[in-house]
Amino acid sequence: MLGGITRFIRSKTGSLAMLAALMLPLALLHPTTTQAAWPADSSPGRVFSDGPVSLTGRLIDPQGEPIRGAELNLVLNGRPVSTEREGVGAHASAQANTRRWAESQPDGTFVLEVPSQVVGTIKTLSIQVSRTHFRSNEWKIADGLIDRLNQGESVRLPDWELDRKITAGFWVATLAFVAMLVLIALEILHSTMAALLAVAVVLGTSLVGGSICPELFIFDFEGALGYIHFDVIFLIMGMMIVIGVIEETGIFQWLAYQSYRLSRGRPWLLVMILMLITSVASALLDNVTTMLLMTPITIQIAIALNINPLVLLLPEVLASNVGGITTLIGTPTNILIGSYAGLSFNDFFVNLTPGVLLALAALTVYVLLRYRRQLLLHDDGLSQALLNRLREGGRITQPAKLQKAGIVFGIMLLLFVFGETIHLSPAVTAIVGAAAVLLWVKADIEEMINVVDWTTLMFFISLFIVVGAITEVGLISMIADTIGTLVSGNLTVAILVLVWSAAILSGIIDNVPFTAAMLPVVGYLSRTIPGASSQVLFYALSVGSAMGGNTSLIGSSANLVTAGVAEEAGYRLTYLHFLKVGLPAMVITVSIGALWLLIWF
Amino acid sequence: MGKVLCATRGGEASYRTQDAAIALVKERGDQLAFLFVVDVCFLKRSRRAVRPDVVAAEITRMGEFLLQMAQERAERQGVAADIILRRGHLRETLSAAIREHKTDVLVLGKPAGDESALAFEELKNLATDIEARTGIQVIIL
Repeated sequence: MLGGITRFIRSKTGSLAMLAALMLPLALLHPTTTQAAWPADSSPGRVFSDGPVSLTGRLIDPQGEPIRGAELNLVLNGRPVSTEREGVGAHASAQANTRRWAESQPDGTFVLEVPSQVVGTIKTLSIQVSRTHFRSNEWKIADGLIDRLNQGESVRLPDWELDRKITAGFWVATLAFVAMLVLIALEILHSTMAALLAVAVVLGTSLVGGSICPELFIFDFEGALGYIHFDVIFLIMGMMIVIGVIEETGIFQWLAYQSYRLSRGRPWLLVMILMLITSVASALLDNVTTMLLMTPITIQIAIALNINPLVLLLPEVLASNVGGITTLIGTPTNILIGSYAGLSFNDFFVNLTPGVLLALAALTVYVLLRYRRQLLLHDDGLSQALLNRLREGGRITQPAKLQKAGIVFGIMLLLFVFGETIHLSPAVTAIVGAAAVLLWVKADIEEMINVVDWTTLMFFISLFIVVGAITEVGLISMIADTIGTLVSGNLTVAILVLVWSAAILSGIIDNVPFTAAMLPVVGYLSRTIPGASSQVLFYALSVGSAMGGNTSLIGSSANLVTAGVAEEAGYRLTYLHFLKVGLPAMVITVSIGALWLLIWF
Repeated sequence: MGKVLCATRGGEASYRTQDAAIALVKERGDQLAFLFVVDVCFLKRSRRAVRPDVVAAEITRMGEFLLQMAQERAERQGVAADIILRRGHLRETLSAAIREHKTDVLVLGKPAGDESALAFEELKNLATDIEARTGIQVIIL
């Protein structure tokens, strides 16, 4: 059978058939001459075509974002043209968009067909538009454009901006979002549970309440799913699997113990090395894993040196929150920002690394000054048995696995850096890495699937839907308008407002939902403020939300897990204690981060 | 000869309790054991994926280190102490260890200021609950 196919391909007829098969898709992709075309002497807005006469345009909201799903109808000579709508159905379809009514597409565009029998007899023409969360409107077409339509010319209309309308759904979505933030901040519910509850409220009200009272409608289920960034979900999932393998090899503990050895028991040097290690590990892996696995051995090292473990742990966790900013995968907020703004691994690395290094240097000076008394002590008074145990705890437990996982992770890093040139997105790289790890390093799929924290993924999915709801109802537009007015087109003010508001709020509320909600706002500001097209405002959000995590104990997950492990050993890290050390650190690092953004961009 | 179990976290704030427990067994002529409970329920406070088994293993290593320190401390004061390490929720694990090791007295450390893991009221509730569950004497030192 195979031999027959090979012979056919090698024959002349077969070669021609193969060539034809290869050319067919190219022929299909090539534009045909019957499609609409711009004549050489045409001006913008004029479209000549062989097909029916049509009106095309685009609907946008006050922030310039496209409006999808709006219903448009033609009113011809004072009478609505609605007969063609029958049998079309309520949802958008390719067919629907060439009729006398249309539904705007995801990019906001619409096409309305003018009945051929009336071309040449149009006296008045207008378009009615209606859309949930926007004011219904009617657009009277100017006489000049009507003349062109009467001559059989299709017309492209300028962008049409619709005004927002506050509905009952607005209040439901807003309250659900605020309640979610409060429930998470006060630790009344687990973050995933809080987000899931908000989704239930939003979708339940929208679908059930919306059918009774249209004012309660927010979006349909399909619309809600459209807000989920699946690239974020796959990137996080892939990284979880890879990190899940690396974390059990003992590499973090080995690094901590090597820091102890390198410092030769000098606490001031030890704290500097530990800060460097945690910041680099946080940038490449993630800060929670780094701190969870570094904290137990750091406590033992501190006890060995007869200093309070918090003197080493606090600088470590502060550095881990700062260090994560340098890469796309370093913090969950960077993953969100990268996905929304299309920023690559290299973009973060190139634009933020120098600023982060400066901030880390200043943080180190602050730590050395703050803990100068404790760090100048040198008391290596452990028994040999305890030193042996410390050494035992700081060894690599699974060298073979680490070697394989290290190779896979190294290749992943290369793909993160160079993947753009071969159209490989970070999410795909993470999934490729996870697959490689599963196949080569650890074949037990069941165990590795358990490594994935599904509650975290569920949190992100729910969060996207809730943020989608407040975007849909116009809350995000209102926030964007307010900030836009506040900064009045000044890029420097916008950078400073974003960095500091993100930093301060991240110390009070969870920075992940905050960042997710701010992304469309920053997108709007980036489009409207002169000079902001460099995406500097997205970097400002990244710097503020991550460095702001240093403000308080609840500012980041890394802070909480570090406190949890320290408490296991009897060293309680209170909210006030963290605030006293973390707040000045936040002010120092955020100031440097903001200064760097102002200089670099 | 009775058995005294001293629940300890091992840090600096625990030294006073460890010393008091050592003094108590000397006075009573009892046997002493230090107990460290690995409880990873704090992981629920983190949203990021972490493997509880890997974290528990690390805290277990830390617990062994801290228990060995307590053991050396007792040795220096002329008392040979056993060490016990358990994983689980504090309340249930304490009760289980008491029954398993046929303990007569449980020693808990009094909170040493704001930075203690448990407030004094919480500690008293814990002591009352364990006394009710196991029927042994619980001393807060």
